[in-house]
Amino acid sequence: MQAGLDARHLTKYYSAVPAIRDVSFTLAPGTILGLLGPNGSGKSTTVSLLTGLREPSAGQVWFDGRNIADGLVEYKARVGYVSEEAHLYTFLSAREHLDLIGRLRRLPSHLMTHKIATLLDLFGLTGAADQPISGYSKGMKQKVLLIAALLHDPDLLILDEPESGLDLTAGLMLRHLIPILAARGKTILYSSHVLDHVERVCAEVVVLHHGRIVAEGRVSQLRAMTQRNASLEDVIAQLVTTVDPAGTARDIADVAGLRA
Amino acid sequence: MRAFTGDDDAATGRLVTRLFLRRLIDNDVISPHADRHESLAVLCALVVSLAVFVTFFVSTDYLAAFIQLPGPTALHALSDRFLFVSASIAVSALAALMVWDALALEPRDAAILGPLPIPARTITRAKLAAALVFGTVFAFALNAVPSVLYPVFLTLNMRGMNGRGILQLIVGHATSVVMAGLVGFFGVLAARGVLRLMVGERGFRHVSSTVQSSLVVCMVTALLLAPTVRAAVVRDWVAGVMPARWPAVPVLWYLGVNETLAGHIVAETPIVPPPRFSLVAFPRQQDDASRAAYRVLAPRFAALARRAWLSVPVVTFLAIVTFLWNNRRLPDQAAGGRARSRLRASVRRMAEWATDGNPETQAGFFFTWQTLTRSVPHRTIVAIAVAAGSTHLLMALATTGAHRLAISSMPLGLLGINILALASLMAGFRYAVTVPAALASNWTIRLAWLGDERGYLAGVKRAAIVGLVTVPLLVLLPLHVAVFGFAIAVVHSIYGFMLAIAMLDVLFLGYRQFPFACSYVPVENPKLLWPTGLAAVLFVSYGFADVERLALQSATRTVALGAALGAIVLLVKIIDRTTRRERRPVNFDERPALATQRLGLFERMVHPD
Repeated sequence: MQAGLDARHLTKYYSAVPAIRDVSFTLAPGTILGLLGPNGSGKSTTVSLLTGLREPSAGQVWFDGRNIADGLVEYKARVGYVSEEAHLYTFLSAREHLDLIGRLRRLPSHLMTHKIATLLDLFGLTGAADQPISGYSKGMKQKVLLIAALLHDPDLLILDEPESGLDLTAGLMLRHLIPILAARGKTILYSSHVLDHVERVCAEVVVLHHGRIVAEGRVSQLRAMTQRNASLEDVIAQLVTTVDPAGTARDIADVAGLRA
Repeated sequence: MRAFTGDDDAATGRLVTRLFLRRLIDNDVISPHADRHESLAVLCALVVSLAVFVTFFVSTDYLAAFIQLPGPTALHALSDRFLFVSASIAVSALAALMVWDALALEPRDAAILGPLPIPARTITRAKLAAALVFGTVFAFALNAVPSVLYPVFLTLNMRGMNGRGILQLIVGHATSVVMAGLVGFFGVLAARGVLRLMVGERGFRHVSSTVQSSLVVCMVTALLLAPTVRAAVVRDWVAGVMPARWPAVPVLWYLGVNETLAGHIVAETPIVPPPRFSLVAFPRQQDDASRAAYRVLAPRFAALARRAWLSVPVVTFLAIVTFLWNNRRLPDQAAGGRARSRLRASVRRMAEWATDGNPETQAGFFFTWQTLTRSVPHRTIVAIAVAAGSTHLLMALATTGAHRLAISSMPLGLLGINILALASLMAGFRYAVTVPAALASNWTIRLAWLGDERGYLAGVKRAAIVGLVTVPLLVLLPLHVAVFGFAIAVVHSIYGFMLAIAMLDVLFLGYRQFPFACSYVPVENPKLLWPTGLAAVLFVSYGFADVERLALQSATRTVALGAALGAIVLLVKIIDRTTRRERRPVNFDERPALATQRLGLFERMVHPD
């Protein structure tokens, strides 16, 4: 039985349009995998299949030797997920939202109350914990999502742009937190646009482009594939960029500078 | 950089007004997740079909008449016009209440438009213009069909009426009901502005939702009462036996407008009998007497009309002034006020007591409580259900009065007050759970849910039992004590409690969704289901009231009815528990049938004749 996460030939069609095709990778416990790719590459679709929120058109997701489709609820009980868009019940306060999530996950009352209060404090949200989420900034909403994902001590953490909107301190804390969780045996998938963060946090990456995997492996291997001393940003740029970024930037500046 | 000029300001204002109007329709009238064209088409179809139905229903007497006598028609039409005017006021006010939050500048407006080089006054004026245009267009759209159809139906069998007269009637009717609609819409805008002015921004944030819900209850109650009370109000006013009560007074103002503009046209129409037909003396005398009675009313109509003509500019002025003053600065984007911790603590204690410490039951209980009190669509559904119950209460009290009577001669209407109120609340609640709390946020519950909805559903039901059964019964208890005496009032409330629990369980017997967290799927056949449901509610309420009246006459029968109700509650719970043993997957993303399928076109295409 293979422990960890195993995505096998995942394919997803929306109507007749393929979003991802034949995406396969494995992720062992205690490791952090970076999922990279430009906008529209299929990252969010892949993440939604891995969380079990969508069903694949073909292929399977296995976790700890079991097809998640055979026990989706048990699987979700072990997953913590931070979504790309911070869609939350805005008429609730952060504490109420976390109470709801904790209760649905059947956390014992005293443990839940203690965890919520402590995590809110550690994330610097205690002062706003009883205000409606509708008044929160993007970073505050992101912190609520992170707490909700960590509340039940999940075995698998799926983080989709987790640093989005976070302030400098919270971002740094997150970058320290992820390796600590991995060292405690958690399996972590980290999807992000910010290659600098991925490079610091993840040892291995999968690069998606047009719904297919165009590269995968250790960051050092990817660098070796292209040129010496290249940053991950340069590697990804070579793999998925079809336009000349410098030239396009000049064009944008020219158009922006047009006057009547 | 070119400096902003007055022309730029006007152009920007028009652009921002269009933006606000578009968002008012896209985000506030229909769901931002819905298809705008389909939703608007359905809304328009609903308004037009309802208008046609009501106009036809009101006009059946005129359409069925062989010879329409102008005198009696002029008097009879007064109560019809009372209905049209009151409906116009109430529905327009409800439209304003539906977009309550969008009737002022919001933090999202400041977030989007604040950084742009647009003067704050332009944004404020654009928002005001959008609200005024929306209200005006709504008032016209709502009244367009009845304004044409009703005068035509009214005079269809009146041979002495000519085309010019009908046109004048249409103009008179349209003027009065549109004025009423404008006052309904702008009245809410003005009331909102005055309240905001009086209690300040922070205070308004606290009371806004309560005021909105209360006004929804008042308007829906008025709308439901209007068809019943219209004849009596107009008859009393015409006879001058008693002054009209306040809620009816503004309606009479606009009735005055219609009558001064065009009412005399009907009353002065000559009688033209059909060929080879002569009118006998009695109907002619009756017609003459009615015409004379109508002519006497003319000065009173003129006095009413003067108030109506004054009311529109006064209300509009008040709405504009308070709006401009309250929105003279762009709203602060600061977070909302701190939740009231004392209330939260007492709700928490109540939930812990009511949920046996089961976390999923607590989740269901709290989330139901929070959604019903804070989510605008859910609050509105509950307010409408409360209004339906209140309407029956007012009608029962108006008919029989709150006098103590022997139980054997107690009117069924009084005995049915709490059952009908609870039945409408249960029906409203059953509908409310099908509406998602926030569609885009459903994923949070889907991911956290551990696959067994029974505990959560039990919490949802318990929240309803506390908030929608126990609280209304406690509110009604003083009235019941006054009418029935203490002992019978308590027994009556216990009966109501037991029946409400049984109704709640019955309504959820076939429910296999996750309350507030599944996509909304409209009922397949509302034309059949809603009237059937209404008939069932009336049948159960009055049937039970009859049985209760019989039972309460002796102690033995009282206990027997209590035992029977207990057995029913138990039986329903056993059935519910048995049917829920089989675990079925919950479909969170169920979609409604396509429009073509609903119309049966798809089947036609697949199986052509």
